[in-house]
Amino acid sequence: MDALTLLAAKATALWAGTQDFLFESVVQPLVFRLGLTAWLEPAFDATEVFMVGALEVAVLAVVLGLLERWRPVEVWADRRAVRVDVLYTLLVRLGVLPLAIFFLLLPLVDGFNGWLRLHGLIPPTLEDAFPALFAHPLASFLAYLVLVDFVQYWLHRAQHRFEFWWALHALHHSQREMTFWTDDRNHLLDMVLVDLALALTAVLVGVAPGQFVAIVALTRAVESLAHVNARVSFGRLGEWLVVSPRFHRVHHAIGLGHEGRTRGHNFAVLFPVWDHLFGTANTVRDFPATGIRDQLHGRDYGEGFWRQQWLGLKRLAGRA
Amino acid sequence: MKILGKTILLGLLLAAAGARANFAPGEKVIVLNSGEGSVSIVDPVARVEEKRIPVGKEPHHLMVTPDGKELIVANAASNDLVFLDPKTGEILRRVPGISDPYQIGYSPDRKWFVSASNRLDRVDIYHADGFRLAARLATGRVPSHIAFSADSRLAFVTLQESNEFIAIDLATQKVLWSMPTGRQPAGIWMTPDDRHLLVGITGESHLEIYDWRARKLVKRILTGTGAHNFVARGDGRHVFLSNRMANTISLVDQQTLEVKETFSVPGGPDCMFITADGRQLWTTTRWIRKLTVVDLETKKVLYQIPVGRSPHGLYFQSHAPLQ
Repeated sequence: MDALTLLAAKATALWAGTQDFLFESVVQPLVFRLGLTAWLEPAFDATEVFMVGALEVAVLAVVLGLLERWRPVEVWADRRAVRVDVLYTLLVRLGVLPLAIFFLLLPLVDGFNGWLRLHGLIPPTLEDAFPALFAHPLASFLAYLVLVDFVQYWLHRAQHRFEFWWALHALHHSQREMTFWTDDRNHLLDMVLVDLALALTAVLVGVAPGQFVAIVALTRAVESLAHVNARVSFGRLGEWLVVSPRFHRVHHAIGLGHEGRTRGHNFAVLFPVWDHLFGTANTVRDFPATGIRDQLHGRDYGEGFWRQQWLGLKRLAGRA
Repeated sequence: MKILGKTILLGLLLAAAGARANFAPGEKVIVLNSGEGSVSIVDPVARVEEKRIPVGKEPHHLMVTPDGKELIVANAASNDLVFLDPKTGEILRRVPGISDPYQIGYSPDRKWFVSASNRLDRVDIYHADGFRLAARLATGRVPSHIAFSADSRLAFVTLQESNEFIAIDLATQKVLWSMPTGRQPAGIWMTPDDRHLLVGITGESHLEIYDWRARKLVKRILTGTGAHNFVARGDGRHVFLSNRMANTISLVDQQTLEVKETFSVPGGPDCMFITADGRQLWTTTRWIRKLTVVDLETKKVLYQIPVGRSPHGLYFQSHAPLQ
């Protein structure tokens, strides 16, 4: 066994040992007490999701934190507005909100899937269409990654295009002190709608739960980077390949990001190619100020978590 | 000193030989890594994972075909069955269009192939010949394990979240009756005399024994928290039961309906297999991503072999009788 293989084996053992410890000493007894032992395996997976989230937040906080100090686009004397975004990030990445949404949506999604089966329909998977993918998990993962990203692009277009959805999604855009923490600043209903659409996509194209977690983890890392308050672009070629902080900042720009016929630009989450293909790319070489135009005229989107959620509902009802 | 050293070495070798089970030359242990969609091919002599082959999404359970020639892997999220060489684990063929197969089983007369769809609350009954769907039944919540009556008339399926098990008439493909159980029934096992059904109560710490003809609970026996799954010792009398949360395995006498002993196996023991010579118990220990081998004479863990993520079903050809 060479040194690299040995190191990988040790790292895997350490990771697996930590997951086992957390699960057997904390999660499993809790699941048992709650009478939910039919959910042992999902709880075991959720333990790993928590670990991935905790590790991801720690790494991003250090790396992207340094990046923001090194090449900041904006410097604020008072960073109070950033605090609520940290809360959103922890609630989402450590699995609190995703877990709640999972339990909310699961009966709906599985019910739909089960209903399809009763009517003799088994949704085909990508592997059914391309059997070569069966033997190549990495190729399969990349294929699903591209497919899910394509769906996310159109979901994002819908978030900006439909008034009811924008009423909710505007919360995400209302951050005028955008940092890498901003990615998870979203209205709870907005999260539910997006997650429902993604879960139905997973049912219809056959994304396995394990793959789904990996896709989400990778997507989140890129999304965090995309929101970073730093002058970073990926160069002529790189800007075409992966969404950069510069590319995504334009999406958040006052007067550019969410106006006009398509209600904005640069909707892509991972791969900017969708914006180039569907005419929504804006490649201006700039790092504009972020926010929503009506904030300049005094519209309030709230500072604290509950206020922001409440105002989102009021906008949805046309009363704010 | 040299002689002493040699004596110790010989003693150690003999001790190891005592614990060693007999596997056929070239035979492999096949393990399903449900969390990463692969099969681990393990060399039982060298005690190492030789390779990992992608097999499909969420492979949980596997069983050998009645003729013993192929090993069927049920890929729940791929909606297919993959057939392996039972000796080497090599992929032979794939049968698509099997909806969410979790637990699978053939009726004793080999006419029916039953698949429990754990996620979607369905039980599917196929004509075993060609896997043609005969009926898809909407059931209670989380259908789990399957057992059959000896005459192949009835299939019994536990419903984990509905806290019951159901009896399905295979000829008419109708649910005949259901029986309430303790919390989260999982493993269900027919005794060799065809009289009793043993049910592992995973949400509690015991085994429930039913006289299924009288539809009556006969007995509850404490085994360990998370009583889950069964495998025959192969002597026609005893059956092992894994207690997932207690990290133990119990040996149950099917004649006296008593627990004879319970021993410790850390890491969340789940599916089990016994070697043909009855000397070793191999079990997947899901929470630690390992295969654990227990010496059945001393009841001690002999060794653990790292495999993939969330290992579930396992198989090897030189196994003890499955009843």
